[in-house]
Amino acid sequence: MIAKRSFAKSLGSLDGVFDFLQEFTDEEAIAEKYVFAINLVVEELFTNMVKYSGGADHQIAISIDKNDHQVMLQLTDFDSDPFDPESVSAVDVSAPIEQRQPGGLGLHIVRTLVDDLEYELDERKLTISVRKSLEN
Amino acid sequence: MFGISKTEDGRISMSGRLDAAQVERAREVFDLIQTSCDVDFEELAYISSAGLGLLFATQKRLVDAGEGLRLINLNPHIREVFQIAGFDNVFEIA
Repeated sequence: MIAKRSFAKSLGSLDGVFDFLQEFTDEEAIAEKYVFAINLVVEELFTNMVKYSGGADHQIAISIDKNDHQVMLQLTDFDSDPFDPESVSAVDVSAPIEQRQPGGLGLHIVRTLVDDLEYELDERKLTISVRKSLEN
Repeated sequence: MFGISKTEDGRISMSGRLDAAQVERAREVFDLIQTSCDVDFEELAYISSAGLGLLFATQKRLVDAGEGLRLINLNPHIREVFQIAGFDNVFEIA
C-alpha cells in the first residue's frame, strides 16, 4: 500500500523521514539490505532538495510504494530552482586520493543503488521518481 | 541518534546514524585530528554521503601530512557504500 507524507524542507526533518520509511519497510517486511539502500537514496535526494533548491518555506512530499519486484519512491519539491542532473559531473571513484576532491558522492551513490531515476520539472515543481529492484 | 567519542588510546568511536543532520557534530571531533588514528565503526549503523565527505576531507588533510585514518569494524552495508564511493583506495579498512 502506498504511503505518503510531507516534511519541512530542512535537514531537521531527516529523523521524521527515517521514521516514515521505517514504518513502511516494517509493514512491508522489506529485507534489511534494501532498507539501508532506501534510507540512503531518500536522504541523498532529500538533502539535495534542501541544499540546492530555493523555496525553503515549502514542504517536500515523499511517497513510497512496493510490488512483488520493486520499491517505487517519489520526492516532490513544490518550489524548486531549475535542476539538471545531467549537469552534475560523474565522480571518478577510481582516482587516487591526491586527484580526488570532496563532494559529488551523493548522486553517484543514488545512481549506483537504484534501477531507474527520473527528474521532472514543471515550472517550479520538481519531482524525482526512483525504482529500486528487490531482486538483486 | 548519533554518538561520537574519543577513547584514551586515541581511537575515534562512532555509534548510531551519521546522516546530514548529524555531520557537524562529527566534524567537531574530526577537525581536531592531527595524527594517524583508528576510527571504530562497530556501533555505527548508517552513514550517508555527508559523513563520507567528512571522512574523505579528513583523510586528504592527514595524508598530505604523512598521516592517515584506519577504519575498523564496518558493517556490511557501510562497507558496500565505501566500495561504491571508491574508498577502498582512499582508506586502510580493517
